[in-house]
Amino acid sequence: MENWKRKYTSFKEKQHSKTPGARPEQKLGSLLEPNLQSILQVLGEDGDLIIRRFRMYGLYDAAIIFFSSMADLSQIHEHLLKPLMNPPADPSSVPADSRDLPDFIWNLTIHVAQGDRTSDLSSLPDSLVAGNVVLLVNSMEQALYFNLRKIEQRSMEQPQTEQILRGSREGFIENLESNLSLLRYRLQTPDFRVQTCPLGARTHSQVAVCYIDGIANPALVEEVMRRLSMIHTDSIIDAGYIEQFIEDQPLSPFPQVQPTERPDRSTAALLEGRVIILVDGSPFSLIVPALFNQFLQTMDDYTERFIVGSLIRFVRLIALIFSLFFPALYVSIISFNPELMPTEFAVAISGGRAGVPFPAVLEVLVMEVSMEVLREATIRLPQMIGGALSIVGVLVVGQAAVAAGLASPTTVVIVALTTIGSFATPAYNAAIALRMLRFPLILMAGLFGLYGVMIGTIAVINHLLVLESFGVPYMTPYVPALWRDMKDSLVRAPLWWIKRRPSFLHAPDPDRLSRSMPKEYAAQIFTEEGEPYEQQPAHHDPSGHSGNH
Amino acid sequence: MNNNRPITTLQVTAVITSTIIGVGILSFPRYMADAAGSGAPLVTAAGLPVAFAGLWFTAAVCRRFPQETLFVFSRRLLGRGFADILSFCIFLFFAFSTGLTMRQFGEVCVTVIFKKTPVEAVILMMLLLAALSVRRNVIKFTYIHIFYAPFILSSIFIIVLVALKDIDGLNLLPLTGNHTTAASFFRGMVTSSTLYQGTIVLALLVPLMKNPRKVLKAGTAALLIVGIVYILIVLITVGMFGAYETRLLLYPTLETARSISIGEGVLERFDAIFIIVWVISIFTTIFTNYYLAAYALREATRFRDQRLLASFLLPFIFTASLLPKNVFQSYCLASVTAIVGLILLTLYPLLLWLTAILRNQGGASS
Repeated sequence: MENWKRKYTSFKEKQHSKTPGARPEQKLGSLLEPNLQSILQVLGEDGDLIIRRFRMYGLYDAAIIFFSSMADLSQIHEHLLKPLMNPPADPSSVPADSRDLPDFIWNLTIHVAQGDRTSDLSSLPDSLVAGNVVLLVNSMEQALYFNLRKIEQRSMEQPQTEQILRGSREGFIENLESNLSLLRYRLQTPDFRVQTCPLGARTHSQVAVCYIDGIANPALVEEVMRRLSMIHTDSIIDAGYIEQFIEDQPLSPFPQVQPTERPDRSTAALLEGRVIILVDGSPFSLIVPALFNQFLQTMDDYTERFIVGSLIRFVRLIALIFSLFFPALYVSIISFNPELMPTEFAVAISGGRAGVPFPAVLEVLVMEVSMEVLREATIRLPQMIGGALSIVGVLVVGQAAVAAGLASPTTVVIVALTTIGSFATPAYNAAIALRMLRFPLILMAGLFGLYGVMIGTIAVINHLLVLESFGVPYMTPYVPALWRDMKDSLVRAPLWWIKRRPSFLHAPDPDRLSRSMPKEYAAQIFTEEGEPYEQQPAHHDPSGHSGNH
Repeated sequence: MNNNRPITTLQVTAVITSTIIGVGILSFPRYMADAAGSGAPLVTAAGLPVAFAGLWFTAAVCRRFPQETLFVFSRRLLGRGFADILSFCIFLFFAFSTGLTMRQFGEVCVTVIFKKTPVEAVILMMLLLAALSVRRNVIKFTYIHIFYAPFILSSIFIIVLVALKDIDGLNLLPLTGNHTTAASFFRGMVTSSTLYQGTIVLALLVPLMKNPRKVLKAGTAALLIVGIVYILIVLITVGMFGAYETRLLLYPTLETARSISIGEGVLERFDAIFIIVWVISIFTTIFTNYYLAAYALREATRFRDQRLLASFLLPFIFTASLLPKNVFQSYCLASVTAIVGLILLTLYPLLLWLTAILRNQGGASS
């Protein structure tokens, strides 16, 4: 936490304070034209700025201003221009005093839900670029603005980076409001809290901090706000920017914040007592705190039955160990301790290596690097070509390398296993950290043999053990050992057995069951007529069973 | 989100266990067999009470001052100057003992396992690794220990279980050994009690313990676990080779691990597993020693933390590890250091405890 020494304004202050570089406050004048001119001074050169002048109620000169690229034109026609240009049914009700006019327009004429009145002229350009429509009326010293924003957005698709077999097919998209609606719809509780604040001096990206009141620890929420409020930058382009500003240990290869595209996963995290951060314009939500354990877990583990889920987690752990240690162990055993292999196998391997001109460490390094190149190449390519390229790369080049005597067949097998293993880790950013760490391990193996591998491994493990994410030790619940939380670690206990939220998050309401759910509410759910549960006859059989007797 | 006293009793047990089990584990059955022949297990067990005395004094005095480390309250009990001199002695002992442990470790590595690696490289890499970890605070120090402790213990127990079937009971009889003299038994007892060194680490942990009153319990449990591990290792080694054969082996425990197998060649390289566990246990041991050395020096010199001191100590410890000219000298020096340590780490807590009682200081008396 020592990284966060700079003085900060609190998130709440920042929410209400003006953005950096804002113009000095200036009151609206009573005449329309000077007001318009002063807005045009700021935004006049923009081709998509529309000023539509008209006569309001046939009495006042007025103008609406908006960016055509961000406004919903049909709504402006229907809900702004139409009621304003038609005189009201009772023309005498239009107030004679222009000071009462804003209230009259706001309360009786316009049918737009979101908006407000302001007398600050200097805030109007900011309001316009945020997508609002501004109404200025001659002789009125207040402006009205309405949120009629319409931004093109793509449809919700299944997240490409987090495919699952069983579970929701929805993924976050770029639009913050749609993302919040995905969460609200999954979390129909009044305790769900969203706090938003624009971050980035130029981009003004809306950043939303979501948590569940009474489940998320207030200290954690406060810490998230604190770190967010200390971000000083001109642009937040993606949630990844936020991640790099708020993580505990920027120098660690391991991710300390978990990005996810899945609303169901975010919801589950919220219900555990974590906090999630959404950024307008990014389809990723950030889950904090994020621990090592989380990077081996997917939604599938929970939607499938618990035995399957637990077994798959073991498979992932094995894959992870493969991807980190296999090449290093292979190099050290081949070049330093061949006596550790059974004799027949050692003969077979040395037979395969007979024509290979390089030492084992060089051979493995070259193959691993080319594998990384191949992986990187296939990510950038369109899917149709990517598939073809990977076949050419893996099968043809691999086979040819062996035939040409550049690599031994065993090396190819080892490299292939490593690569496949690294793809089995569900979290891409954690997988890449481990993939990169295997290169220093291979070098250590080449230089010092098994001893080098062990020293390297101990160094990696020690690093993991001292790492923290938002004050929670990274290897929790293994170290420090929290027996209760190990129900959802490498094994995933049955859902009905996981009765409590993770204790390391210190949720104010640690019980997943009963305490937060009022008894009468539970009774309503479990009985058909809404009668109290206790009044049901004791021998009452569920209908499905009674038919069998 | 962390509370101020996060370390549990079980964690303290784990730290002490993984601290104590260290470099001696490869060769100590030889000394035990030297001292009492087939009575080796008995000699091993005889070291326990001596070690327990040191633990008891440390625990008793630390319990009286649950808010401070030993280095802090000793200043109040003995006066600043005297306490600092003794803290400096503790630093010297642990720095030197880290170096010698590293040397012994290096010698084993280059003679038995990593034949192509130079001894300096072996030592320096391990020291670098430890120096990096020493920069962290005591809680992180605990976390690192409790991660490795289960691996160390479970692997040793598995090896013992597999080896049990190869034991010849006759090798272990008579239980007191043939021709054991009181003198040789006593010498063996002193040697074996030096094997249990490391309980002083309590002094670091008590101010962070959730329940400082249970520190003696944690220490006793740790000593018992280590005692059982040692006795089991001596049992299988002497039981397998016999006392005379054991005396001739340089690293009897390693030979035991080499001789055992499960099934028909399904798992026959137990020595590989054992070496891995052994390297880890060496790491945990020198990690504690290095940490204590840096911490004691930090307290004696009033530094704010031990980060800088840890790096500063590295060349000195490395030099200490290169002092002995050969294997024989390194073992002689190590045994002398161990006995000096035994005296220092038993008598110093005793002195503190007596002073605390005489001056009636410390909270636990109420």
